[in-house]
Amino acid sequence: MTTAPYNYSYIFKYIIIGDMGVGKSCLLHQFTEKKFMADCPHTIGVEFGTRIIEVSGQKIKLQIWDTAGQERFRAVTRSYYRGAAGALMVYDITRRSTYNHLSSWLTDARNLTNPNTVIILIGNKADLEAQRDVTYEEAKQFAEENGLLFLEASAKTGENVEDAFLEAAKKIYQNIQDGSLDLNAAESGVQHKPSAPQGGRLTSELQPQKEGCSC
Amino acid sequence: MSFFRRKAKGKEPEQPVDAKVNRAPTSPQSPSLSLRNHHAILEAAGPSHVAINAISANMDSFARGRTAILKKQPIHMEAAHFGDLGRSSVNYLASETRSRLSKTVDQILRDNVAMPYYIQFQEARGADHLVCFWLEAESFRSTSWSRVRAHSLNSVKHSSLAEPASTPVSPDPSSNSDMDLPSIPRPSSSRPLTPSPQDANSNSSEGPMAQLVHRDSFSSVVDQRPGTPSRADTPTRQPSHRTGTSFKLQSTNALKELSDKLMKSIERDAVNIFTKYISPEAARPIPITEQLRNDIVAKICGEDGLVDPNCFVIAQSVVFAIMEQQHFSEFLRSHHFCKYQIEVLTSGSVFLADILFCESALFYFSEYMEKEDAVNVLQFWLAADNFQDQLSAKAGQYDGLEAQNDAMILYDKYFSLQATNPLGFDDSVRMEIESNICREGGPLPDCFTTPLRQAWTTMEKVYMPGFLSSNLYYKYLSDLINSVRADEFVLASTPGQGVASDLDRSTNATEGSQAQQGAKKVAAIKILKNFDEAITVDIASLDPESLYQRPYAGRMTFGKVNELGQFIREAEPEPDVKKSKGSMLSLAMKKLVQGNSDEAQEEMAWKIAKMIVNDVVHQAHHDSPGESTKL
Repeated sequence: MTTAPYNYSYIFKYIIIGDMGVGKSCLLHQFTEKKFMADCPHTIGVEFGTRIIEVSGQKIKLQIWDTAGQERFRAVTRSYYRGAAGALMVYDITRRSTYNHLSSWLTDARNLTNPNTVIILIGNKADLEAQRDVTYEEAKQFAEENGLLFLEASAKTGENVEDAFLEAAKKIYQNIQDGSLDLNAAESGVQHKPSAPQGGRLTSELQPQKEGCSC
Repeated sequence: MSFFRRKAKGKEPEQPVDAKVNRAPTSPQSPSLSLRNHHAILEAAGPSHVAINAISANMDSFARGRTAILKKQPIHMEAAHFGDLGRSSVNYLASETRSRLSKTVDQILRDNVAMPYYIQFQEARGADHLVCFWLEAESFRSTSWSRVRAHSLNSVKHSSLAEPASTPVSPDPSSNSDMDLPSIPRPSSSRPLTPSPQDANSNSSEGPMAQLVHRDSFSSVVDQRPGTPSRADTPTRQPSHRTGTSFKLQSTNALKELSDKLMKSIERDAVNIFTKYISPEAARPIPITEQLRNDIVAKICGEDGLVDPNCFVIAQSVVFAIMEQQHFSEFLRSHHFCKYQIEVLTSGSVFLADILFCESALFYFSEYMEKEDAVNVLQFWLAADNFQDQLSAKAGQYDGLEAQNDAMILYDKYFSLQATNPLGFDDSVRMEIESNICREGGPLPDCFTTPLRQAWTTMEKVYMPGFLSSNLYYKYLSDLINSVRADEFVLASTPGQGVASDLDRSTNATEGSQAQQGAKKVAAIKILKNFDEAITVDIASLDPESLYQRPYAGRMTFGKVNELGQFIREAEPEPDVKKSKGSMLSLAMKKLVQGNSDEAQEEMAWKIAKMIVNDVVHQAHHDSPGESTKL
């Protein structure tokens, strides 16, 4: 993806975690490339993809780290949790086992990320209604009990994929606004960047405000 | 390059005894000395000054360091061209590369740079006696062993020297050892050796030495050593020794004195440590059980008069466990650790390993690589490195088919002729990978070593210098600095509050001092301030356009003086103005490799300085006088 320099004000770091085969890489690919990878190979260790979205008029770049779900990669992927602003915890609605393992993933996420990392639960493969093994309600309840956002999505059709990433970003941005997330901490998972392109359009808007309150 | 340095560093923990031997006389003092210096700097000036000082003072060492690193290349180095997945160090071993920015307890305890910060942190928590005890005990242990060894070697020398002299002498069956030789010219020298804490034992101070030598069993001569004759006996034998062998006696006496002094000093040190940390009357005793204490006492005052150099080891491990469980994760989140990271990052020699193995640095570096359109190199390196790690960790459960599948995924993505993300590896590498993957039984963890090395080199030579001079890196550093300043200010001015609210940031906002109440309110104001501050910094001080300017193009002047009084050269400086010393070849290499990143680095230092000056100026306008003295 080509991005103009300084086109965004923030970069948020995300991680995607969950059992193998639930569709983490496909979700990422659908989000960044708007395409569905029918037979994507499993992830070796970790990969990342990026895309720019907009929240409250601010352009935000998401740096999304997609981790391998296989148990054998668990140890190496743990080192990428640290410093994540947002985490997508994915399960497959057609496989109950992937839902049952969520508590283990959640434990890892809570232990290894910041206290105010935003975690969103995603029930993937929502297009396979006929093979559903986990109801919406029970997953919703699990999410509420644990303070997680929740969405069911389909990487294949694209349903709710953008929303998944967007909802988390909105929550993170809100945390920044109300101060619970320290923008300038090195481990926050957020980079705040100069928002001005060369023309300085944004800067000229903001500068008068600054002069107003800095005296 | 950095691999050599990495290897050297990697070796350090494996040989702590030898390394510590050299530092033995100073290590009990050096933590406190450097600690005092750090205190002085940091309390007087604040962490921003640490950063600035570090950057400017180490500009030289940056240049020198790079030259030194280049010089370390072995002569049989492969292709000299970098940038095209060039080949470089032949000794790249993934398992040995670690980031200096991510530490374990053990690494901190053995790292002279990180140690002062850790000690400071512990002091702030009132638990510095733990780490001081650990350090002193560790140093004691290694120096004791080395003194024991030195002593044993001496005694071998003694025995072989002394034999001809001692045989005619005496009825005393112990005469065949140097220990009995009197110190003829200096009879008084025997006196200092006798008073010792082991007076309770009936042995004289010769006892430890004798037993020690006996223990090491360097020579059969020693085996016949009984318990010791007292010193008082020896002078009587003096006259008979005088004949003929006085020279030898004098040299052996000198050696013997040295040996005696060595053993004595071991005892003294052990007692010191005991008194400071373990004895019940100590000011800050470490938390160990009574039984352990008694055990230590027994080991210091051994029945044979010997101090066991390992007497504190168990107590050390107890203390280590306490530090690891109760204190260490807090330390990693503390501003002290941030300060340490800042020091590493501004030391002038940041290695690729420091960046790639530290998540927060990697976050910024990934963004940089994407901007540079080189993210594939990084992605490949991450994937292959992870592949290697997990396969090596497999140990007994190696599954050849699974490994082959994993390897094939990487092959299809990066190496095959129809690769989705081709990296431009040449045919020889591709064929090597193919044969590694198709190996009978499945690929081994070192399957991708060659391309990993090449990717590493490319990142190190081509992209890292640019990264270290980029705005992204500057932002990373300033984030670290900001976290430090915020925390420090809070701790300094509001000791009662445990909240990490940033009072010093509440200056630009209208609420000012009212923000002291309530973390949320303060944090909100802080965020506003952050926005303003960030914008102030970014717009007023940092001109993004400068990235796209060629500052030296088309000017007709030699230079100008900017608002900070800095003279900005317009012309390129002469090569001999460069501070690095090195052969013409290494200078040329350096230029080829890093261009003018020295200047860029300096430029960044000035930018950081500007940022901090700006912020301080704002503070000075709005804060109470007490706060402004924090500078």
